[in-house]
Amino acid sequence: MATSNTDTSNARKKEVKKETRLGLTYKKDKDFGEWYSEVCVAGEMIEYYDISGCYILRPWTMAIWETLQAFFDAEIKKMNVKNVYFPLFVTENVLQKEKDHIEGFAPEVAWVTKSGQSEMEIPIAIRPTSETVMYPYYSKWIRGHRDLPLKLNQWCNVVRWEFSHPTPFIRSREFLWQEGHTAFATQDEADQEVLEILELYRRIYEEFLAIPVIKGKKSELEKFAGGFYTTSVEAFIPNTGRGIQGATSHCLGQNFAKMFEINFENEKGEKAMVWQNSWAYSTRTIGVMVMVHGDDKGLVLPPKVASVQVIVIPVPYKDADTQAIFDACRSTVDTLCKAGFRAEVDLRDNYSPGWKYSHWEMKGVPLRIEIGPKDLANKQVRVVCRDNGAKMDIPMHSLVEQVKEILSNIQESLFNAAKQKREACVKVINTWDEFIAALNNKKLILAPWCDEEDVEKDVKARTKGEHGAAKTLCTPFDQPRLPEGTLCFASGKPAKKWTYWGRSY
Amino acid sequence: MGALRLPSLALLFSPSKALRSSSASRPLRLRPPVIRKVSASLSGGASRALSTQSLANEEATPPSAADRKPSSGPEGSVTPRSVDFNAWYLDVIASAELADYGPVRGTMVIRPYGYAIWESIQEYLNSKFKETGHSNMYFPQFIPYSFIEKEASHVEGFSPELALVTIGGGKELEEKLVVRPTSETIVNHMFTQWIQSYRDLPLMINQWANVTRWEMRTKPFVRTLEFLWQEGHTAHATLEEAEKEALQMIDVYRKFAYEQAAIPVIAGRKSRAETFAGATQTYTIEAMMGDRKALQAGTSHNLGQNFSRAFGTQFTDENGQRQHVWQTSWAVSTRFIGGIIMTHGDDAGLMLPPRIAPIQVIIVPIWKTADERTEVLNAAASLERTLRAAGIKVKVDDSEQRTPGWKFNFWEMKGVPLRIEVGPRDIGNRSVVVCRRDIPGKPGKDFGISMEPSKLESHVKSRLEDIQASLLQRAISFRDGNIVDVNSYEELKAVIGQGKWARGPWSAGDNEELKVKEETGATIRCFPFEQPLGKKTCFMTGNPADEVAIFAKSY
Repeated sequence: MATSNTDTSNARKKEVKKETRLGLTYKKDKDFGEWYSEVCVAGEMIEYYDISGCYILRPWTMAIWETLQAFFDAEIKKMNVKNVYFPLFVTENVLQKEKDHIEGFAPEVAWVTKSGQSEMEIPIAIRPTSETVMYPYYSKWIRGHRDLPLKLNQWCNVVRWEFSHPTPFIRSREFLWQEGHTAFATQDEADQEVLEILELYRRIYEEFLAIPVIKGKKSELEKFAGGFYTTSVEAFIPNTGRGIQGATSHCLGQNFAKMFEINFENEKGEKAMVWQNSWAYSTRTIGVMVMVHGDDKGLVLPPKVASVQVIVIPVPYKDADTQAIFDACRSTVDTLCKAGFRAEVDLRDNYSPGWKYSHWEMKGVPLRIEIGPKDLANKQVRVVCRDNGAKMDIPMHSLVEQVKEILSNIQESLFNAAKQKREACVKVINTWDEFIAALNNKKLILAPWCDEEDVEKDVKARTKGEHGAAKTLCTPFDQPRLPEGTLCFASGKPAKKWTYWGRSY
Repeated sequence: MGALRLPSLALLFSPSKALRSSSASRPLRLRPPVIRKVSASLSGGASRALSTQSLANEEATPPSAADRKPSSGPEGSVTPRSVDFNAWYLDVIASAELADYGPVRGTMVIRPYGYAIWESIQEYLNSKFKETGHSNMYFPQFIPYSFIEKEASHVEGFSPELALVTIGGGKELEEKLVVRPTSETIVNHMFTQWIQSYRDLPLMINQWANVTRWEMRTKPFVRTLEFLWQEGHTAHATLEEAEKEALQMIDVYRKFAYEQAAIPVIAGRKSRAETFAGATQTYTIEAMMGDRKALQAGTSHNLGQNFSRAFGTQFTDENGQRQHVWQTSWAVSTRFIGGIIMTHGDDAGLMLPPRIAPIQVIIVPIWKTADERTEVLNAAASLERTLRAAGIKVKVDDSEQRTPGWKFNFWEMKGVPLRIEVGPRDIGNRSVVVCRRDIPGKPGKDFGISMEPSKLESHVKSRLEDIQASLLQRAISFRDGNIVDVNSYEELKAVIGQGKWARGPWSAGDNEELKVKEETGATIRCFPFEQPLGKKTCFMTGNPADEVAIFAKSY
């Protein structure tokens, strides 16, 4: 008896706790890693799963992914890129065709070895990326200069069986991405496209996700395995002092063309090799957004990508005309939806308004509208901004214009706040001691560098520790002036450029 | 040359053709493109004669031959459908550049033209799913083997086709992982955690994903080891709601087939033997292909409580009682593209319904002199702008190295619904010639159609609608002309023997159904929702029957 009583009361307590426990256990500034995992789950972005490093992407996430997809897909179609789908499965011999390339990926490959009950004669790999799957076909499809440029893209999943600490969105064993693969007759065309795509990636981060990024070029050590040069957009996470590669646009040069015999007959009738690019961004973008904007109350979604931009909550005090309030809520949502906003109402009767506030704050909805008896009487609504908690009353008749303005302000101020935080972390240094001090202070370090591979390796070796080694993030296209005689912070040789350094994800 | 160890693709895709190829001693087309060096050296002019057999042989397809052989027409590109349906199908896929074979046998590369058809399918269905209250999400591709084993009939149905990952990151995995063949098990695993009370219901989600089934006999689009699809999964508080959902979704598919793809599918219920592994009821849309074989083009399952019981997916109802949820799942895949090809295509190649076509109008400029060229290309570009602004998917074929005649044939083969021809004389008359893909020759041409934007736009739009309607009408006539009512097993055998569909009253059991399959090769495609009135007697047993069933050979 006693036991069963305790069980029931425990169960009840658990039930109650489940409904009321809305706050986050961890603080962003104190336990960033734990906070991040918790906010991803509590914000209903992701669900953990029995297989480590694999996550379920819930509707709240997919809506954001779809918004980014719609933007990017339309933009590349304007550039005359066509979508295709190449198979998930790769044979070993194809996978190993490009040696440098495969050295980079081989340790992370997942292998299918059985079909049904039988062992396969040759194991089959699951794509970690599709260069080697696609390029034999480029070799087949490209014959003459009229077949160029060939510009293809695919939206798909890829698998990289990494063993380092998996993190939702940021490092997962399966993720969603787009991978563009293009071939041109000339290097000029390839170079130009690399930058056009990089600009689209910048816009994804800055215009949609409200995250400032730095455009630049990767060092020889950090570039794509088998490529010619790599450009990237780099974001920064102030809390951990780590850089994070946001998306990459690679010029592959003619290296793959050589390996895969992607030749064409040029206008003079001579045989030539194509110039290739590949470029990708993934669901990682969403993780960066969570890290940059989230706070101790949960997610903070930029209005442009939020699947719900405005949540309307009725606040029926005792003895109030509940029906009239509910009707006002519904008509407010109608008005907003008709005006093109993504608005929803939460009419659930088993939760208090206070619980709902916390719930939608946790999910990061940019704007909350509260409607109570007083608002009804005054023909107004109370709005509360998720990003700074600002409250104001706005008259019903100017609802649409004001909501529009407020949302666009939120989008802008999220970006500005993120930019300010990042700027505050940038540290320009000139010496090794300054470098180490800045690194320990979680800074985004801008340093004069001699651009030698051995020096970067040496810096990596010298900074190796429990938090991981420092490396180059990128050499920004936007270069500050480099005074004559400036020396490399690490080698003391003449510096050639300013480069961002730091620890990274 | 490890690539040579791969099994021959065409053998697996098409046994009958592989035999012919080997007797013609041309191993060329059996190889994947990785061995291009070999194929290039072998592919000379001699290959022309055999080009009708080639899917992998790029020499035969007009586009890749572009640099070498300026000629008047895409000669020999497609085996006539009336000669060999299967060879025609593979040729159309290759020549129209819909797909290519993948590097692993039984897989395929979906090329831009084929993928654009998939995108128009996606666009329509995705908005319908959202209208009906479903949210998109994404479940992992890998499923622990133990999940699959939980629902007994499910594992029995799928286990021979499962691809298993046992090595990851250079290490043997502790538990083997299944590359998803479908996601019911992982979905239920999560539903169990997300569903607590009746307030959490209905839970309605969908995902667009790739799935893998290690099939032995494959055919591009129709059956491939990996394919793309959408899979909807829902959980409800009552059986009635689940049943309503399953029927609603098969109706979404039916409407899509009729209105967008112009395929007059027959919607109905599957027999017990043909029901999805783990479902209590499977609804289907069945399409009749040009060779009169049936293609299951979409299915919607009422899963009952089979998965919720296996996974303990329960909710607390309004009375505080714990109950298992009632579920559905439903899917349409890239197989549908195969259905579009095989429903509408003809001897000249592909024929696309305008609402699905990636290119609805192809403009072919005709010129002889340089002066004419400039004038005609300007006119073509202006027509293109007009039509594009009107929301029509249009393209100008202004390539220099092809004759207009070649282009006519090429775009016909690609199935573009409408062609606009514009030459110097037309410009003088301020008019163009508009030609329908579905009606060959003069009867399909409209001469002297004004170039004036509003007139041209309305003409083109109404022609596209005409084509859409006439493709559907033609397919309906074909379907109805090939379904025969039968009242005895003998009649059924005769009808199936003629390659047609047999429709007859049926109340016999699984054993009799199996007998029909073994003796005639036909299976019950469905018990159609639309049933004839009147008393029925089972043609097999002579017992009273409630319904007629449709029998046919199928893909």
